[in-house]
Amino acid sequence: MSPKARWTRPLTADETGTPDLLGAKAHGLVGLIRLALPVPAAFVVTTEACRAFLDSGVFPVGLDAELDVALARLESVTGRTFGAPDAGPGPDRRLTVSVRSGASVSMPGMMDTVLGLGTGPDPGQEVRAAIRSVFASWHTPRARTYRTLHGIPHDLGTAVVVQTMVDGDRDEHSGAGVTFGRDPNSGAPGPYGEVLFGSRGDAVVSGGSRTRPLGDLAHREPGVWADLTRALTLVEKDLRDACYVEFTFESGRLWLLQARPGRFTGAAAVRVAVDLVDEGTSTRREALLRVAPAHLERVRTPRVVLAPGVEPLARGIGAVPGVVTGRAATTCAAAVRMAAQGPVVLVRPETSPMDMSGLAAAAGVVTERGGPASHAAVVARSLGRPAVVGVGAHTLTDGDVVTVDGTAGLVVAGRSEVTTRTAIPHLNRLLVWADEVSGEGPDLSEVERLRAAQRVLDRHRP
Amino acid sequence: MPPVTTPHDLLVLHGLRVVGFCGIERLAEATGLNHDDVESELIDLAVAGLVTRTPGPFGGWGPTEAGRISDAERVGAELDRTGARDLAVRTHEAFEELNPEALDLCGAWQLRPLDGVVTANDHTDPAYDARVLAAFADLERRRDGVCADLALALPRFGRYRVRLAGALERAHAGELDQVADATDSFHTVWSQLHEDLLATLGITR
Repeated sequence: MSPKARWTRPLTADETGTPDLLGAKAHGLVGLIRLALPVPAAFVVTTEACRAFLDSGVFPVGLDAELDVALARLESVTGRTFGAPDAGPGPDRRLTVSVRSGASVSMPGMMDTVLGLGTGPDPGQEVRAAIRSVFASWHTPRARTYRTLHGIPHDLGTAVVVQTMVDGDRDEHSGAGVTFGRDPNSGAPGPYGEVLFGSRGDAVVSGGSRTRPLGDLAHREPGVWADLTRALTLVEKDLRDACYVEFTFESGRLWLLQARPGRFTGAAAVRVAVDLVDEGTSTRREALLRVAPAHLERVRTPRVVLAPGVEPLARGIGAVPGVVTGRAATTCAAAVRMAAQGPVVLVRPETSPMDMSGLAAAAGVVTERGGPASHAAVVARSLGRPAVVGVGAHTLTDGDVVTVDGTAGLVVAGRSEVTTRTAIPHLNRLLVWADEVSGEGPDLSEVERLRAAQRVLDRHRP
Repeated sequence: MPPVTTPHDLLVLHGLRVVGFCGIERLAEATGLNHDDVESELIDLAVAGLVTRTPGPFGGWGPTEAGRISDAERVGAELDRTGARDLAVRTHEAFEELNPEALDLCGAWQLRPLDGVVTANDHTDPAYDARVLAAFADLERRRDGVCADLALALPRFGRYRVRLAGALERAHAGELDQVADATDSFHTVWSQLHEDLLATLGITR
């Protein structure tokens, strides 16, 4: 890349741009590259370029030429070519790229992503059109509303990551997945995630497919598994926090596509903060500052205890916390009818106003499609019903007794064991550390003990 | 084309199709008809086998299968009489663009990040609530613009303006359940408009 490049940066270990300039996604990828972890070759179009585009409606002077250089560099470092014939088995000669938004602040799902570009007669124009569409998606009314609500300035703009595609659907030794370095529900050590063999990453994230527990990777692709667990350890030590990683493997070779802190809550946040101190990854001071008082109020939310070796019937997004056991009802008429004989869990593809009678009659809610802002989630929350959304395909039928965990996003067969004490030993140790810092003691509430320590630590910031 | 006014029996049948399953009061609120008119239409529709009443604690009125078929035929024919099918298709497309934002806003009303943790909005921060309500008002202005022409052609769609604006007014006046909780809340009415557009165009989810 020419040293005169102003609007684009190749993602390399010596890139020193801030998240404000590169966006959080590209900045995170640079961190992975510094750890010598495998990241598909990529460059970023900076937030400055986006701001210039949003001001004028056209690419800033010089960006066009820089894109030619950056795309040529992708071809040379990968040894692949845009438009080359797909050779079938063996090393892939054809280069395709993804174009993804990546602002400095998290705006999940608000902006565009375009995958698999570069197959047409003019790959350069395809990529440029995609970059324009990602830039323009900064100003969709939905994104504007999101920023207004969350106090994010409207003039930040988004960076755009242009990255070599790796093919999770290439052969039987390919696939994609997402994983946390630890269990995001309990904070327990060990990778926790899901994998989809023979599929691209977008199929995993969309939630419509039948993913497998991450452990399957250990049996089917032991080499990928070994590289992935090693990577998770490195990323965690680097972030000094539990991590979340998106990955693809192509013909038995692992690639990392994104890494960020795990953002655990409640019991999991408390346990990880304490465990990281025990493992020597962080200090007690960091642990006390890391746990927000709001986490303590969630430490005792009821949770399902999965017996060893038991797989849940379905896994989705926990939309409304709490645990409930009841008989599954797959129609609202059945829910209304069955509710007279005991608690019912309404199981629907998604919900609409037509389902209000069923939602009102049900003690818990499960949907196949939709996310935390779906109709089902909004209604279940307002009714205080534990809910799991986006579980995908499942085998539940009317009358099945199931337990729903609306924190973990689990649907389990039968009546599960439930605990409110997942992290109590860890919590007690954290509070002893807090008292040592503040000189307070158990006569205060747990939240007040933590706050007292945080006040002292805030006064003595190094 | 002159506007086509929907007869009362179809207003009630279609109201039930869109609301799903409910009592007379809710149907009166949804259709804008008075309680007695709704009740008398329901009785006639029940005699014709188009609606049925389920007793019990979660009971209420709902359309029969024959009622759903009859409703689909009649609203489809009504739409063709107005000559507004293309307009309805465009309105539905524009509405689908706004729909995720409505759900985002309901989520923001119920939940907010506190110290990085998503927690229930306990409505003790008037500035935050005012910001969310202002965003709802802005969304409703755009929704009204999107649906205005269809409401001219088919006045029954004009009822949504009254109901949505009413819910936001009541929320502004401090009735917090008028955003996403009550059966006449913004979220409920918005979802019914969504269902109405789908049903009117004969689109199944």
